[in-house]
Amino acid sequence: MRQPVARFFIRVGALAAKEATHIRRDPRVLYLALGMPVVMLLLFGFGVSFDIDRIPLAVVDRDQSEASRRLVADFVASGDFVQGASLASEAEIEPLLRRGGAAAALVIPKGLSRDLARGEDVPVQVVFDGSDGMSTTQALARADAIAQAATMRIRREGGLSAAPPLRVSAWTRFNPTGRSAIYLVPGLMAYVLAMVSVLLTALTVAREWERGSMEQLFATPVGRLEIVVGKLLPYLGLGCLQVLLVLAMGAWVFDVPMRGSLFLLGVVAVLFMLGMLGQGLLVSVVTRNQMVATQGAMMSSMLPSMLLSGFLFPIENMPLPLRTVSAAIPARYFVHALRGILLKGNGIAEIWPDLLALSGFAALVVVVSTVRFQRRLA
Amino acid sequence: MNPPATAPDHAIVVEDLSRHYGPFRAVDRVSFHVERGEIFGWLGANGAGKSTTIRMLCGLLQPTSGDATVAGHRISRDPEGVKRSIGYMSQKFSLYLDLTVEANMEFFGGAYGIPRRPLRHRMEEIVGLTGLAEYRGATTGQLPGGIRQRLALGCAMLHRPEILFLDEPTAGVDPVSRRDFWRLIRRLAGEGTTVFVTTHYMDEAEYCARIGLMVDGHLVALDDPAGLKRVHVPGRVLDVRGEGLVAALPTAREVPGVMAAEPFGAGVHVRFDTGTCDDARVLGALREGGARVAGAEPVEATLEDVFLAVVARGKEWE
Ligand SMILES: Nc1ncnc2c1ncn2[C@@H]1O[C@H](COP(=O)(O)OP(=O)(O)OP(=O)(O)O)[C@@H](O)[C@H]1O
Ligand SMILES: [Mg+2]
Repeated sequence: MRQPVARFFIRVGALAAKEATHIRRDPRVLYLALGMPVVMLLLFGFGVSFDIDRIPLAVVDRDQSEASRRLVADFVASGDFVQGASLASEAEIEPLLRRGGAAAALVIPKGLSRDLARGEDVPVQVVFDGSDGMSTTQALARADAIAQAATMRIRREGGLSAAPPLRVSAWTRFNPTGRSAIYLVPGLMAYVLAMVSVLLTALTVAREWERGSMEQLFATPVGRLEIVVGKLLPYLGLGCLQVLLVLAMGAWVFDVPMRGSLFLLGVVAVLFMLGMLGQGLLVSVVTRNQMVATQGAMMSSMLPSMLLSGFLFPIENMPLPLRTVSAAIPARYFVHALRGILLKGNGIAEIWPDLLALSGFAALVVVVSTVRFQRRLA
Repeated sequence: MNPPATAPDHAIVVEDLSRHYGPFRAVDRVSFHVERGEIFGWLGANGAGKSTTIRMLCGLLQPTSGDATVAGHRISRDPEGVKRSIGYMSQKFSLYLDLTVEANMEFFGGAYGIPRRPLRHRMEEIVGLTGLAEYRGATTGQLPGGIRQRLALGCAMLHRPEILFLDEPTAGVDPVSRRDFWRLIRRLAGEGTTVFVTTHYMDEAEYCARIGLMVDGHLVALDDPAGLKRVHVPGRVLDVRGEGLVAALPTAREVPGVMAAEPFGAGVHVRFDTGTCDDARVLGALREGGARVAGAEPVEATLEDVFLAVVARGKEWE
């Protein structure tokens, strides 16, 4: 039993060492893996703005009156918000935002209708989840505009000349200054990891086919699990470097916090990368051509992880079909877990569904790609 | 016709081996055997099916039908056993060009599961054997073809295989390197390694103990070089030099007993049956055809002659 096990490690070690040398000697790979994330972080962090649309809005209605229901209806009618859960107290807001059950909450104080009738100043509060993929400044502006319109309506209906103002005060949780870079960093990390993992593994396998070295490799007793593991390990290492690089850049340039556990973040990142590396191998099972492999990798990983993960566009704002598709995109769970860990200090209690989804995907693709990896020619 | 599958002195036994690609038969019902320690040449024109045969024998390609035993392992049932016992140099140059000579050897040694210390030792031997000592640290991509081929051979031998499969190992290599390479192959065979080699160079084929000739997926001739010449290019070959010889070839072909008359190098080769014809009659016919003969001498038929004769008649074996 010792012999086969020792051989397994010798073979995997040889493959991994060889792959690591390829990486070290290829400036393009190093640029893709380490230069590109930095460039993208700077580009996106400084240059991207976001539209808001259909923000899920939880409601704490302590007045329970005709006037309070009209106000909620005004928020929903605007199209900027959709009505979410009704909560009994403000204490329930934070856990809900943490779980991602809503991205904002409207707090209507007791006595709204009475105060309105008396023409008094009425403070209405909107709580935003600043770590979600929306611009809180814009969302706040929208909330303000809705309140203004509501004031006009009340003035008309009540025939009052002196308008009792609905005053909206905003309270942003988790990302108080509303800087987009803070929630960009987790998304960007998902994107660059997906790209490097899928693209580079798909490319290296396709390159071995094109060069003919895969044929040479198959003529040795190297098993497919050994090839898969040997290819996976160096890129996993490279991926860990990327994670640290993006984290450090984020912290240094954009003051992205690290509120949760670094260890948990590492676990999530490794699970995500395993899935992506497996997907890269799967792409290379389908094609042996570097061009096609590049396109396959782009289509299957980079685009979804950019567009459907919540990195650039909030998932809540997507039309239903896209939202459904995004449920099958591992990057979505990765981004969600990362934002939770980095910005909210979430622990395993909150992110276990993401961990489960990521592990499931990783197990599935690694098994499928290993099984489908043909060790024969043609 | 049906050789025993496990003859102890047979390194390779091939039985009715075929590989089809759709309706196309790349290799069609080929049977032969290779003896231990012999250099076996596998010859054929482009697309004849040489590489396809080698890939099946290396356990890389599943046969459509038929089977073979390589170093005691069935290729259909135990391709992994085959892979452990053989070394393979594929036709496409397939070392890692961005790695150094040493890194390539370390990689392939590792791929064969050789532990570090024995591998170091074996690498020393291989470096000595292939004369690569001065190139150890060089990046493979910067080395000339002849040295790369030696490295590829070295990598295929790290695990001391019983059988070496070399698919056109000297393609595109300069003549001096080719000669060195063949010296190495003969030395390995002398030490007991069986070598199965394909080549386009007929002069190299002369080094082979036995030769199989493939035409369009069929094995059409199998013998030692002398036997092939005796059977396929019988008679005496006269190498004639002079002027206007090619124009006179049709006249020479009219002479009874002349079997072939073809341009060869700077002159022509005329082959005839010594029972019904002689040198004087051949030269007379050439002069009659308008040629000026400057000299003539008998030469050995070459494998090139065999190859041309066999390929010309290739269709007859189908
Ligand atoms: N995967 C494949 N699919 C279809 N046809 C193939 C495939 N591989 C090889 N062939 C065909 O089978 C025939 C034999 O190919 P093979 O590579 O064995 O020839 P070869 O004798 O090695 O030729 P060369 O001297 O060019 O290397 C060729 O006509 C080739 O086009
Ligand atoms: Mg070939």
